[in-house]
Amino acid sequence: MEHNYDVVVIGAGNGGLSAAASSAKMGLKTLLIEQHNLPGGFATSFVRGRFEFEPSLHEFCNIGTADDQGPARQLIDSYGVAVEWVPIEDAYRVITTGEGADNLDIIMPFGEDAYVDRMEEYVPSSRPSMEKFMALCKDIMDALAFIRKSSGKVDTKVMMKEHSNFLKCGGYSVNRVLKSLHMPEKAQRILCAYWCYLGVDCDKTNFALYATMLYKYLQTGAWIPKQRSHELSAGMDKRIREMGGDIWYNTRAKRILMKDGKITGVDTSHGTINCSHIIAGCSPNAIFGEMMDEKDVPEKQKRMVNARNFGGRGFVLYLGLNRSAEELGLKDYSYFIYGSMNTAKEVARAKDFNDHPMQATVCLNVANPDCSPKGTCIMSFTTLYTQDVWGDISTDEYVTKKREVAENMIRDFEEHVGVTLTQYIEEIEIATPVTMARYTLNPQGTMYSYESSDWDTLLARLMMLKDDQIVPGIRFAGGYGPRIYGYSSTYMNGDLTARLTATDIREEKAL
Amino acid sequence: MKQFNFHVKPIGLLDMLHFKKLVPNRAEKLAEGANEQVTSVYKVNRMSEFMHPATQMLTIDEIIAHDDDTKTFILTGQYIAPFRAGQYLSVYLTIGESVITRPYSISSSPQWTKEGKYAVTVKRASDGFASDWILSNWKVGIQVTTSGPEGNFYYEPLRDAGHVIGVAGGSGITPFLSMAYAIRDGLEDFNLTLLYGSCAESDILYKLELAEIEKNCDKVKIIHVLSEEKTSCYEYGFITSELIKKYGGDHPYSIFLCGPPAMYNFVDKEIEKLKLESKYVRHELFTSPASPAGLDGYEGDVQKQYVLTVKRFGEQLSVPMKASETVLVALERAGIAAPSRCRGGECGWCRARLDKGETFTPSHLDGRRMADKTTGHIHPCCAYPLSDLTIDICPE
Repeated sequence: MEHNYDVVVIGAGNGGLSAAASSAKMGLKTLLIEQHNLPGGFATSFVRGRFEFEPSLHEFCNIGTADDQGPARQLIDSYGVAVEWVPIEDAYRVITTGEGADNLDIIMPFGEDAYVDRMEEYVPSSRPSMEKFMALCKDIMDALAFIRKSSGKVDTKVMMKEHSNFLKCGGYSVNRVLKSLHMPEKAQRILCAYWCYLGVDCDKTNFALYATMLYKYLQTGAWIPKQRSHELSAGMDKRIREMGGDIWYNTRAKRILMKDGKITGVDTSHGTINCSHIIAGCSPNAIFGEMMDEKDVPEKQKRMVNARNFGGRGFVLYLGLNRSAEELGLKDYSYFIYGSMNTAKEVARAKDFNDHPMQATVCLNVANPDCSPKGTCIMSFTTLYTQDVWGDISTDEYVTKKREVAENMIRDFEEHVGVTLTQYIEEIEIATPVTMARYTLNPQGTMYSYESSDWDTLLARLMMLKDDQIVPGIRFAGGYGPRIYGYSSTYMNGDLTARLTATDIREEKAL
Repeated sequence: MKQFNFHVKPIGLLDMLHFKKLVPNRAEKLAEGANEQVTSVYKVNRMSEFMHPATQMLTIDEIIAHDDDTKTFILTGQYIAPFRAGQYLSVYLTIGESVITRPYSISSSPQWTKEGKYAVTVKRASDGFASDWILSNWKVGIQVTTSGPEGNFYYEPLRDAGHVIGVAGGSGITPFLSMAYAIRDGLEDFNLTLLYGSCAESDILYKLELAEIEKNCDKVKIIHVLSEEKTSCYEYGFITSELIKKYGGDHPYSIFLCGPPAMYNFVDKEIEKLKLESKYVRHELFTSPASPAGLDGYEGDVQKQYVLTVKRFGEQLSVPMKASETVLVALERAGIAAPSRCRGGECGWCRARLDKGETFTPSHLDGRRMADKTTGHIHPCCAYPLSDLTIDICPE
């Protein structure tokens, strides 16, 4: 049987799902293939006993309320996917366990004004610099909106005149800019608590990237699908099919087929598919390393892939507890527990195993009370590694090692939040980078694809959209795409990539 | 941009220059990457492939016949995946026209995988299509395909009490045997008291092996419970709450159960009397009953015949299906290689999209994700048809 498509999307993670949905919606004949047996990639769920766990999502950015929709919600709505969104109350509670200035326990709210007010409570006289920060965030948002509207042809004069603040801060790191705003150091550090969502320290994170992320969270809040990320992924699956797309699970892309430098199809574990365009939700490493002959990969492309650094490799401990969040004394949804407020120090610690791994921990029931049976609750504890350290563990030590890390994280949480969890553990699951590699095939089990660090930041990627396209007919959605990783970003990446692909197809037809 | 004027360096124009460098900087860095073959397979990826292979090709190295109805097969392979005592292998079988799977607990010590060996024990089931076939067709030297080690029925010290009461019935002893070996070999550290129910002394599987472990390891205690034979050295009757209390001593202990459905039905009621928190009671996989007749909530007619239309990778075909069988069994009988592993609703490997029609899933087997229930997905291994069905499956 012959299979002919305009576009084959490889990988049904967030990026692949939105790419396939946008592609199908634009009327392109679309096939989405996925090596695992269900959609979502990291955006899925799994069941243990009477609990259904959320594997990866902490806070979906850019959702907003039904009346005041953020861009991610608009996009998902535009596909006709019905998701019941649940809001998160506070932005985060951050606890740092060091001495002196590194000993903090604070809760920061969503909402621009509330955030500035709270900061003033914790750090008196931070207000003027915080207000400047917020104004700068707004300038950046306006500038980015202008750039987006200019569809690749940015009027430099307007940029210089109207958006000079953006141009002036856009090249610097978070710490560099915050310092120039004369923000008190304590406030700078509290403000940087989201660093682990990027996995990069604030000396290396681009200011515009961090500022827009934080600002968007403050403005539109954070949301989660009521029935875990799988609700969104399963809803996307349904709509992609209804819009005329096909989806094949348990199907692994093996080879990209090319003739005279052009894509002609994909060889899969279930036969050959003819197509002229590929959108990859998977890594460029997999496409150019495993699915193409080395001779077909241009030197520039090889160098480009080999130059990238992988982002955070995740470790997640999941607990189903047989007490309610209230009974356990868990009042907050999101907890960041760091050794110190120095992000560079924290990232350096994440190079290897240590007895007190930094953690981003969530109690799902605080936001989503009915997510588990009455009298129970669900927690997840995430830490990151910046190197392939789990690959150095022997299979003999593997189970012990993951239990050890889990125990350390539970102990630290119990100690610093002042609660008892251990005796209430009814279900436990531990996912390491090995687990992530198993289900997603990501190189090194990375959750964050290519690190968006200093030189490889979102702004630079966006500005180099055209330069990054080397092998015609292949574009990258997902975390490896131009708009980097994270739920909202990967959804946007998928849509952007599909639209660019549609343009490619139109232009080729016009020739 | 009215509120304030901003600059990092003393002159804002320098900041703009800094911004302008973003692109050339990145271009330069990208060009510095090695001109070497790209890869996506790193240490962690290789480890994942080793620990979680999709399939394993194994050779039957030795067969130990316990009696006419029970054999242990020693399966060998060069690099076989490690497992946690209590896990199972899903075995792929082609019997006549049918392509099926069966989960079998690994009964050997996890230590054995070092030597490239697993043991699985197969006991003839009353209506045992697969077990009959295996017992008469699996010979030394034959190659068999299995999954990697699967399942969550293992001891976890962060969750379970340090004392585990294992309740085993018949061939349900196999995961416990592996756990006992793991304790003996120092791979696991907990106290295991095994209440092992058999009809008569002659039905006890691994009697010598269990006695040998008990002799050499003070953390393992074996209590045989015979239901049809009264002797002075064994307990007589069924596994009751009294018996659990007698050997369990003071709570906390965790109860692990593995055995036939009839045992679960009986022992679960006994355990209720102990009023334990549910975290202290764990079951090995349930299996879908041979017929849904009489199950809570079932309103179908098991005499009926339906048509099952299967879509896979753009093709479509229709096969007959009995109301009394699961969708998975109908697929297998028709020779359609459908994905499956646990066959008890839990693992979700068989997850399929139901395009049209109605099915019944017994509530105790319904391991579906919440959103799957509302988007029309089923686990064919425990879904019984209530009408003609159209499903979309993606074989491995």
